[in-house]
Amino acid sequence: MSRRLTAIALGLLLALAMGLLSWVWARPATVVRVLMPAPFADATADLVATFNRAHRDVRIAVTRGPFETDAVSDLAISSLLLGDSPYDLLLMDVTWTAKYAAAGWLEPLDPWLGPEALEPLVTGARAGNRIDGRLYRLPLVADMGLLYWRTDLMAAPPRTPDELVAIARALQQQGKVRWGYVWQGRQYEGLSCVFVELISGFGGQWGPGEAGVGLASPAAARAAGWLQQLVNEGISPRAVANFAEPEALQSFEAGEAAFMRNWPYAWQELQRPGSAVAGRVGITTMVAEPGAAPAATQGSWGFSLLSGSPHPETAVTVLRALTGEASQRRLVSRYGYTPTLQHLFDDPELVAERPQLPQLRQALDQAVLRPLNPGYAQLSDILQRQLSALISGRGEAATAMARAGRESDLLLRASGQEVGR
Amino acid sequence: MSSLLLMAPALLLLLAVFVWPLLDYAWLSLQAQSVFTGLETVPVGAANWQRLLADGRFWQDAGQTLRFALVSVALELVAGLAIALLLHQRWRGRGTVRSLALLPWALPTTVMALGWRWIFNDPHGPLNGVVQSLGLATVPFLASPDLAWVATVVADVWKTTPFVALLLLAGLQMIPADLYEAFALEGGTPWQGLRRITLPLLRPYIFIAALFRLAQALGVFDLIAVLTGGGPASSTESLAVYAYLNAMRFLDFGYSATVMLGMFLLLLLGAAALLLWRRQAEVGA
Repeated sequence: MSRRLTAIALGLLLALAMGLLSWVWARPATVVRVLMPAPFADATADLVATFNRAHRDVRIAVTRGPFETDAVSDLAISSLLLGDSPYDLLLMDVTWTAKYAAAGWLEPLDPWLGPEALEPLVTGARAGNRIDGRLYRLPLVADMGLLYWRTDLMAAPPRTPDELVAIARALQQQGKVRWGYVWQGRQYEGLSCVFVELISGFGGQWGPGEAGVGLASPAAARAAGWLQQLVNEGISPRAVANFAEPEALQSFEAGEAAFMRNWPYAWQELQRPGSAVAGRVGITTMVAEPGAAPAATQGSWGFSLLSGSPHPETAVTVLRALTGEASQRRLVSRYGYTPTLQHLFDDPELVAERPQLPQLRQALDQAVLRPLNPGYAQLSDILQRQLSALISGRGEAATAMARAGRESDLLLRASGQEVGR
Repeated sequence: MSSLLLMAPALLLLLAVFVWPLLDYAWLSLQAQSVFTGLETVPVGAANWQRLLADGRFWQDAGQTLRFALVSVALELVAGLAIALLLHQRWRGRGTVRSLALLPWALPTTVMALGWRWIFNDPHGPLNGVVQSLGLATVPFLASPDLAWVATVVADVWKTTPFVALLLLAGLQMIPADLYEAFALEGGTPWQGLRRITLPLLRPYIFIAALFRLAQALGVFDLIAVLTGGGPASSTESLAVYAYLNAMRFLDFGYSATVMLGMFLLLLLGAAALLLWRRQAEVGA
């Protein structure tokens, strides 16, 4: 009898324990939803899996967005406009920050990350994250414009626009390359990226606060005129007016061109088997006139916390983990991304794997930011229209840039912003 | 009264999906709602409309959209009629060819636009391959403002001619065969038959095809977004692309609504002109 009682008691206890255990196991984890462009979703997949295994109370759910920057932005904006965003974190391009912050879609990160969150970062990753003194974005990877050159065709890369043209022309005349220089001339954001580092190299600057946002200046006219000259004189193909990054890469990879303007990702593509230039490529910063500092257009992707996230604190934990050192090391060594943490650029282990890191660091130190303005997309569009016309053989550089300056001023005035002298 | 009741569901549906959004847009076009207002709506009266009237880009795009629509629809009607006449004849393998001819129409626009972007590629695309094999210099089809719009027309004609052909083929099959037999007995030639019987009887179908295609072509977006992105120098930008840029890139919803409404009003004018032309044509016939 007592044995039977004990058995029943034991059974009950076991059932209770199992119930308790399953309740603990099944206690719903806080789900942090993250929208990333497809390449980043793929590159972070194992980091996310590791995080989810290590944390029982938090689960990262990544939405794999489209490949193209603009398409990701469209997807994010469409869902944000509906008010209740389905995401907690968004991986953002550097040019979106001002716009998204002005639209009220972002939550400042300062309360969680403190005032020194950007201190450990390399110079060229710090700018573009703070707006009106508030931190809205923490970069995951750095990105900047680079000049790729052929080490088998010249001893040293050109430092000035004139040198580039001279070397390119000589190589073309010798029949060693079909084109001198390939870059991004299609009417899209890439064209603004080409221009912003070039106007710096000609001693100017693009941004509100300058007269005609800096476009009604001799430097802007000379930079735009140089691009036009490249096409007119056959240093660059006419087709460059419809080139985005893939077209420029394709041409350079086939060994058709002496120089290419592109981002760090191109390095790995050029070293692949099947590339005609593998092992014969060097990188440096964009050319600049004597006396002006060379510049690299700052890109970069970073995480922002979306306002309306039901659990911002957990989301920031995820943001910290994904941008942390372990995560960056993996993205660098496995996928060839450029880190944002300063000390990783001198890390012997990483440099052994990625010998180009010190050069990337140099370029990042010269990084220039595109105007940090809520109306940036429209400012960029105004510039692209004029540049595209010049490159496809219409108009004259000084007039076109002056017109772009006027249109930009009109836009800023209409939006109630101060306009430079 | 009961007839009104029976029509009510259809009317409500129309109100919900057509009239209400239109009114909403009309209201929005009188507001400033943009990234500069923090997406708050601020009444600004007719400011957006004044901007539209003075906006050279809107009118440039309107002209370009109209050029694209008229040229491509005209070419599609001619080519579609030729194909329909061919497919109407009896010959071996006609069934197979009929289904094959529909393929371009069945292909998603973005897919075919990517295909054409490659075909027009300078210098690696197949089209420039042909040009080079003739010993000529490659042509920057998509990089020249004078050629890029022609490229968009070519891609559009390739894609939508089957649609026109199908509509016209349906029309051809409605024409009784004995009309042609009688005509032949009277000594009429096939060419006269085409002009005197086929074309007049086909007119309503041509009209319907033109109306459908014009409405679609004037709202063209995906083909242009993928093939050229509106460039170079905005020479291929359509009104729909411009409205999209304003809304999704610039976050200027007030002005985007104004552009859309402006485009709608232009479309309305076009449709009215077409209807008027048709009525006159009927009176004349």
